[in-house]
Amino acid sequence: MDKTQLYGRQLCLTPAQAGDCPVGVQQLPALKISGDWINCQRCGARLPRRDAQLPNDQYYCYACLTLGRVSTLVSLYHIPEPNEFTQLLHCCWTGQLTPLQSACAQRIQQAFENRQRHLLWAVTGAGKTEMLFPGLAWALAQGLRVAIASPRVDVCLELAPRLKAAFRGAPIAVLHGRDPEPYQYCQLTICTTHQLLRFRQAFDVLIIDEVDAFPFAANPRLYYAVEHAKKANGALLYLTATPSRELLRGVRRHQLTISYLPLRFHQHLLPTMTVSLMPAWAHLLKKGRLPSRLRRRLAEYERTGQRFLIFVPRVAQLAPVHDLLARAFPQMKGLNVHAADPQRLDKVQQMRDQRVQYLVTTTILERGVTLPGIDVIVLGADDATFSTAALVQIAGRVGRSRERPDGLVWLIAANYARTIKRAKRQIEQLNRKGRRIQREVPTVSAPHPH
Amino acid sequence: MKCLLCQRPIRIKPSLDWLLSWRAFSRPITCEACWQKFTPIDRRTACAGCGRAQPSPELCRDCQRWPPERRFHSVSLFAYNDAMQAYFQQYKFAGDYRLRRVFAESMQTAVAQQAADCVVVIPVTPATLTTRGFNQVSGWLADGTNPLCGLQTVARTKAVPQSKKTRAQRLLLTQPFALTRPAPRIYQQHVLLVDDIYTTGRTIRHAASLLLENGAKSVTGLTLAR
Ligand SMILES: [Zn+2]
Ligand SMILES: [Zn+2]
Ligand SMILES: [Zn+2]
Repeated sequence: MDKTQLYGRQLCLTPAQAGDCPVGVQQLPALKISGDWINCQRCGARLPRRDAQLPNDQYYCYACLTLGRVSTLVSLYHIPEPNEFTQLLHCCWTGQLTPLQSACAQRIQQAFENRQRHLLWAVTGAGKTEMLFPGLAWALAQGLRVAIASPRVDVCLELAPRLKAAFRGAPIAVLHGRDPEPYQYCQLTICTTHQLLRFRQAFDVLIIDEVDAFPFAANPRLYYAVEHAKKANGALLYLTATPSRELLRGVRRHQLTISYLPLRFHQHLLPTMTVSLMPAWAHLLKKGRLPSRLRRRLAEYERTGQRFLIFVPRVAQLAPVHDLLARAFPQMKGLNVHAADPQRLDKVQQMRDQRVQYLVTTTILERGVTLPGIDVIVLGADDATFSTAALVQIAGRVGRSRERPDGLVWLIAANYARTIKRAKRQIEQLNRKGRRIQREVPTVSAPHPH
Repeated sequence: MKCLLCQRPIRIKPSLDWLLSWRAFSRPITCEACWQKFTPIDRRTACAGCGRAQPSPELCRDCQRWPPERRFHSVSLFAYNDAMQAYFQQYKFAGDYRLRRVFAESMQTAVAQQAADCVVVIPVTPATLTTRGFNQVSGWLADGTNPLCGLQTVARTKAVPQSKKTRAQRLLLTQPFALTRPAPRIYQQHVLLVDDIYTTGRTIRHAASLLLENGAKSVTGLTLAR
């Protein structure tokens, strides 16, 4: 086995597989057993001994099976990260940052230099990736090992080509479960947060993008992965549009520093949410009718040609809502789409090409898919499927263009759920900061021509 | 309590019958939705040779190609469908030994119904036993180790895992099993031979002919899936 395969990694190998291991390799126990519990040394799970049992007094971890099984039949093999990069990556990005973006970019680089743990709370549509480039360029030039991880595969897939274009020289490792490439030791790694479990004290700089996205927020094991994948003195940067309560608690306890980017790339505030309580909306829908306020709004859309998205909580509601709209407003053409829809890409493309006026959907389309100038209506916004983070992301779909930097975000709900209140509060909090910046730096607020 | 297959919580509604029966409550292992995805084979109309699901019980095409053997036939409990494939992927290949509980009751009941004189489990190779850590068939029936007496694998075979071979390659295999020492008591016995999946039938027929050559009166195959 090539020893670079083990640099900063922890791989599960049987004694037979480890036979040809290079010298200097550390062999670590894969599981630790104490009393009635076993502790997985890869993912940090603590499992009841009885459930984790194999025959012959052996044990395994069922919490991180998708990365290959950890058990008492294997050990973890590791070589401490030597930062052995023959050819460094250099930055060839020549784009421009707005003054606000470059202030943020400086703050990021400073966090890397001081090996800080930092949270950047940036509105959706702020241009987060570009703001990373100066800090990344600095870190890579220093010969540091860097990773950008996201809970979402599609974020990794979208980031990879942009970073490959911006940083040339050595190859970049892209690791995710969807179509696995053989692992290669690289200075810069882009991976899913799940893949971080295969690393051990590898990264001098670790960036977690879209921390708010499922399943990261719900999975404490991934915080464990983050802490173990970075070096003990490594810098950690969380990027998010909607920080979880855990992260904000970390800020309050001074475990994390924080900076904000409350204005979007076109210097405008986030659109605020309008909430209407209509307890009977689902009932009306079942009877084939639309709430009258919604009906009036849609009639206006039919007249003006304004494009919009309607979110519903369940896949089963897509077709009925779409049918109802198609019957009530035959002039408007629309489609319905959900996350697992095989024709999803095609349908989204039709919306982008303006061949249809609206989509009825359950999913927050991919990142990077922008639909300029749209309005958004959420039916059943109080449903548990719409988390606070999801509602903020949905609102972030609106106002993505210079020409129409605001728009309608209308939540229709049976009651004023806590998720809705929190989402509204998050947006208000950012907008307060945004207004302050607009006042302090009148030049960047760049008032709209009309 | 969570479903072992989809991790969603299972709601239990204790029935009145159960409340009146004073029996210990057996906790469900999977949710209803996951369980419904498995298709039981109707044994009244299944193929008399291999137990495959079909409308009427005559010998299927595959079975007609085997040399006739009146002393052997096989039955299966479930059709090998997508859900079953996913199950084996997780249980056998990912090695999630907890999943033995999903079919333990079905298999143990089926073994008891057969009322054979002796039960023999198809063994896994020593190499598999050290990497996977368990025998998937005895996981359902007992403790997951290779049974102490009965069959053992012969060292030279299984260089390539079964599932990676083509049908032709599989059929060309020479006898992959031998009797353990001391030899199992099978002389003049009705033997129940248990395996996980019946695919071509070659594996189980190899084992069956070995048992018949060594004096077994008859051999019934039992597999979870066909
Ligand atoms: Zn684990
Ligand atoms: Zn289930
Ligand atoms: Zn047959």
